[in-house]
Amino acid sequence: MGLRCFIVDDSTDFLDAARSRLESDGVTVVGVASTIDEALARLDRAEPDVVLVDVNLGSESGLDLARRIQTETNVDPAQVILISTHAAEDLIDLVESVPAAALLSKTALSGVTLRRILDDG
Amino acid sequence: MDRRRTSSAVARRLTGLLAAGLLVAAVTGLIKLGEPHVPTLSLLVLYLLAVLPIAIFWGTPLAVVTAVLSVWAYAYFFVSPLHSLLLADAQNAIGLGVFLVTAVVVGELAARLRRAALEAQRLSNEQSALRRVATQVAQGVAPSVLFTAVTEEVGRLCDADLARMERYEPDGTVTGVGAWSRVPAHLTVGERFDLDGLSIAREVRRRAGPIRLDSFAGASGAIAQEAQTLGIRSSIGCPITVGGRLWGVVAASKTNDVPFPAATEAQIAGFTELVATAIENAEARAELMASRARVVVTADRTRRQIERNLHDGAQQRLVSLALRLQTAQTKVPPELSVLNAELDQVHGGLTDALDELRETARGIHPAILAEGGLSPALKSLGRRSTIPIRLTLRAQLRLSERLEASAYYFVSEALTNAAKHSHASLVVVTTDITGDALRVEIRDNGQGGADFSRGTGLLGLRDRVEALGGRLNLDSPRGAGTTLTAEFPLTGS
Ligand SMILES: Nc1ncnc2c1ncn2[C@@H]1O[C@H](COP(=O)(O)OP(=O)(O)OP(=O)(O)O)[C@@H](O)[C@H]1O
Ligand SMILES: [Mg+2]
Repeated sequence: MGLRCFIVDDSTDFLDAARSRLESDGVTVVGVASTIDEALARLDRAEPDVVLVDVNLGSESGLDLARRIQTETNVDPAQVILISTHAAEDLIDLVESVPAAALLSKTALSGVTLRRILDDG
Repeated sequence: MDRRRTSSAVARRLTGLLAAGLLVAAVTGLIKLGEPHVPTLSLLVLYLLAVLPIAIFWGTPLAVVTAVLSVWAYAYFFVSPLHSLLLADAQNAIGLGVFLVTAVVVGELAARLRRAALEAQRLSNEQSALRRVATQVAQGVAPSVLFTAVTEEVGRLCDADLARMERYEPDGTVTGVGAWSRVPAHLTVGERFDLDGLSIAREVRRRAGPIRLDSFAGASGAIAQEAQTLGIRSSIGCPITVGGRLWGVVAASKTNDVPFPAATEAQIAGFTELVATAIENAEARAELMASRARVVVTADRTRRQIERNLHDGAQQRLVSLALRLQTAQTKVPPELSVLNAELDQVHGGLTDALDELRETARGIHPAILAEGGLSPALKSLGRRSTIPIRLTLRAQLRLSERLEASAYYFVSEALTNAAKHSHASLVVVTTDITGDALRVEIRDNGQGGADFSRGTGLLGLRDRVEALGGRLNLDSPRGAGTTLTAEFPLTGS
């Protein structure tokens, strides 16, 4: 059965590119959102196995969203993966205390990587 | 007012006359004692003892009176016929005449000497007072301290009972900035006054120059009322002009009727010029500080903006392109191995370009600073450090953008220096919030000997810290490591 993935990113270009990349790996993108409010409103209904959250959501912070996902939705923090344009090692100190399974550089995105992270966690 | 002034002058002259009488009587008694032994005419000179003090303290006219009185007493008591003012002998008359002239001339000289001495004393007092104030101006003491000091100097020098310094406000009021009184009195500093009634400040502004006020009697308004309560009679006020505009006023007042000497305005002008210089200095310094801060803050903001633009623009696009390329690759049949290898190379090149771009962006402004604040940014910096580093980060709260950026660049530059010059085996970075300052310290155990004059890095750091109103301290003895400490004020930045 295909992995169900939800993506939160403020760039529609990226949402598009990420969707085709993941779908070519057999992952089903069950929903996308560009803001915190959109994400919180759609997450529970989408029933994702994994949620990708961009650290930098324009004027909003993906770290805030990760915290609110923990308290305001049924999604488990172990299903949340933070993604960023920056290299993961540049931001690692930022996400120490954030409820998420991992921090992933956007260029490393693939079905294989997502499955490995979820299996590890 | 005029009547009062005349009456006090009369009283002064009467005192002088009484003193003259007493002195003449005393000398007469003295001569009486010597009379049996010494020829009396030679004792006539003793009356100078009476004339001189009167000349010194009451001036020439009263000295003339004293001389006449002396001659009269001498003629009456010692020259035959005794107990009469008639003179039998012409020689005695000449002697008395010569004495009279001598006494008047000597008296006049003594009076002049006395005046010269007083003037010299006054000048010397004025010079030392000016010097004291000038020293304070040069030391850049706080304006409030200077205002108080000048007010007191002016008050003492003018022999006043009260002195005030006031600043004109844009709304037409004045604020007291300095006050002094000879005897303890309730004087308000920091309070605003309206200039609706009679006041020295109003008159100085109206006249755009020094003024004298003889009385507040019958005047209305808050200031006039306070002046009446304090028993102020005559006042003098001088403008303080800063850079061509009327800034404030210094006023001295007396509770007695002795008028201020004619030179008083000129005397006070020496002080108002110093005050103006001090204010100009302080304003120039404040402007300089503000412009330095603007330079640093603008530069930091530009760096951050460039990093944002790179992130939101080129980086974001390259990331999407790399993903799309990978997607395309999954659709290439495996037997087209040459094409696949080609695409792999393109992907590799794309990834390298992204890495380089990230590196550049991070050097311009680390994204983690804006996202997470100082501590995560310093941890990230420490992770990439080429020499062993220990972080003690006690300043955990988010601070203003400019402060976080400055503290970050401070550590970054100092770390670069330590790695480049110190040969240290350990660098310790500490951040702390103490009172209302952010304290950042970088200490290495290397060879020391760091010097502001041998590069631009340390100088740039000092500029950066001072621009935000902070202080940089460098301690780098040879062979004993280097400690750089920066203290940034939390307020006002
Ligand atoms: N931590 C340190 N340990 C020992 N010497 C130091 C240290 N930091 C600086 N110095 C000395 O002080 C000098 C001045 O430092 P500064 O940072 O101003 O210039 P720089 O590092 O030589 O050049 P740049 O302008 O590129 O920073 C250095 O050349 C070096 O000799
Ligand atoms: Mg340097």
